Amino acid sequence: MNAETTTNAVHCSAIRKSFGSGETRTEVLRGIDFTASQGEMTFLVGPSGCGKTTLISIIAGLLTADEGHVSLFGEDLSALSPREQILFRRRNLGFVFQQYNLLPSLTAAENAAVPLLAAGMNRKTAVARASEMLDQLGLGHRVSAMPRVLSGGQQQRVALARALVHDPRLIVCDEPTAALDHKSGESVMNLLATSAVHPDRAVLVVTHDNRVFHFAHQIAHMDDGVITHVDQQALNSRLQSSPS
Amino acid sequence: MIPIAISMLRHDGPKFMALVLAVALAAFLTQNQASILSAFLGMTGSQIRDVREANLWVMEPDTECFDQAKPLKQTAVQTIRGFSGVEWAVPVVKVDTNARTEAGKLSTVTLLGVPEDSRVGEPRMKLGDASAIYRRDGAVIDPGGFSLLFPGQTFKSGMKVRIHDEWLTLHGISDAAPPFTGFPVMHVSQTTAMRLNRAEARATTFVVGRMLPNADQQAITASIRRETGWKAMTRTEFENASYDYYAAQGVPNLFYITIAIGFVVGIAFTGQTFLMFVKENARAFTTLKVLGVTHGQLGRMMAAQAGLVVFMGLGIGTALAVGVTEAAKLMPFLRALYIPWEVALACGGVIAAVTFLAAGFAFNKVLKLQPADVFRS
Repeated sequence: MNAETTTNAVHCSAIRKSFGSGETRTEVLRGIDFTASQGEMTFLVGPSGCGKTTLISIIAGLLTADEGHVSLFGEDLSALSPREQILFRRRNLGFVFQQYNLLPSLTAAENAAVPLLAAGMNRKTAVARASEMLDQLGLGHRVSAMPRVLSGGQQQRVALARALVHDPRLIVCDEPTAALDHKSGESVMNLLATSAVHPDRAVLVVTHDNRVFHFAHQIAHMDDGVITHVDQQALNSRLQSSPS
Repeated sequence: MIPIAISMLRHDGPKFMALVLAVALAAFLTQNQASILSAFLGMTGSQIRDVREANLWVMEPDTECFDQAKPLKQTAVQTIRGFSGVEWAVPVVKVDTNARTEAGKLSTVTLLGVPEDSRVGEPRMKLGDASAIYRRDGAVIDPGGFSLLFPGQTFKSGMKVRIHDEWLTLHGISDAAPPFTGFPVMHVSQTTAMRLNRAEARATTFVVGRMLPNADQQAITASIRRETGWKAMTRTEFENASYDYYAAQGVPNLFYITIAIGFVVGIAFTGQTFLMFVKENARAFTTLKVLGVTHGQLGRMMAAQAGLVVFMGLGIGTALAVGVTEAAKLMPFLRALYIPWEVALACGGVIAAVTFLAAGFAFNKVLKLQPADVFRS
């Protein structure tokens, strides 16, 4: 991916967020400027409590910033009503969580179909499309399996299918490998790199697992509520090692 | 999203069962108690309805209900016949006395005297012939009364009951509606009833009559009241007066308490269980919110869950109530027991409303779930 051809998917400027009030008030984000581009996988890394999760919650429209401005694909989230934000999120965002967050009562295909069902798609069509997505991710033989019988890696692949099935423009991953062993984590990140990264899509990954840093095009390092520096080396090394 | 909601609920087996059983218990309690109350209060007018031919009832002014009637002079019959708009009038003698069987079984009984000439109030029969009551010692008895006086026995014509120093011969089982008092109801001739009415041998209890078709019934009863000082009512008014008399005695309050307990159990248990369901499925609900499920969709999902609980709980509870009612009807005194459709509808409606209300409280908790909490491990 050439840096000149990339387009901003996420743009944050001067984001501030605090929790609590009075003496218990804690400022979690202290003026964040951050950009993630389409066609790239951007990592947000840093120690626990540095504000990574708060930042992606604000980017995903799940929290509101006290100050600053967030736009996704040029859309100012703060200008949308709560319902419009939900619909925007449904159309444009996919999520991968640390604990997978699959509904235990649904099969793998039904879980992966949830974004389509939420959008009003016919159940049969939605489950069929979700099954195709699971097949692409190597789980075609487990579409009818319940989450409890799947391994951690398989559950995370179902979660990845759920994040991809409605072809969103931004995928937000929160510690996607934290609950997995190294091999399974590597496998999930490989799938993320090959299936999720797309010229029209940005992938934002929060992680502290430095074993998977080599998948990133860009790494934003956070500490104590600010981005200390952005590392483009990962992207450069990938580009340099690319056969083309 | 509805199938997802249903599968979420069914997947949480213990809570699903708890919700269904809570609604079932509430439905059973309320329908059972309400129908028993309804049937019992309905029995307060049994003997009034049994005199099918009459639509006018005249009685001594202190009389408040059928079972608590005061004696009326025999001449009252002639007086009532003289009122314009009254087609006919006859005496009905009611005597509450003690009866004893040959085996020594003793019970208070209600004797109803049927006039030999008009035969107004003659009972329909389940077994035997009603005309036998016009014999000097003839009588028929209602099913509940027979089972009380002759427990475990099969009816045979010729069985005897002693009242005062006379032996009456039973010739059949009548189809008289069960009385509120639970006393056996025996039909005899008017002559026999008056003979056995030792306290008021020359009195009648009621004068019943029929008002002419198209006559102004209210005007007739008002003129009887005004000119005689007696109490005169249409059949419906007398039924209502008897109903109101017993309803005011406090017994229904016991049923109201049980019915209220049923509703409280419904509210408390289903509300609490729904809240626990939401609490334990908070991660799933939060995930759905993050994935773009709107509040409207979540509301419909919870309504569907409540609907399933109502459907199953009401079904089980109603089936149980019907089963218990049918079993109770095998007992002769409770043969009038049934679940009126109005009772079933009202109980079902209130329980459904309570369940949806409980689901509404739980939905309020869902609305308060913070989507950002989805990232908490």
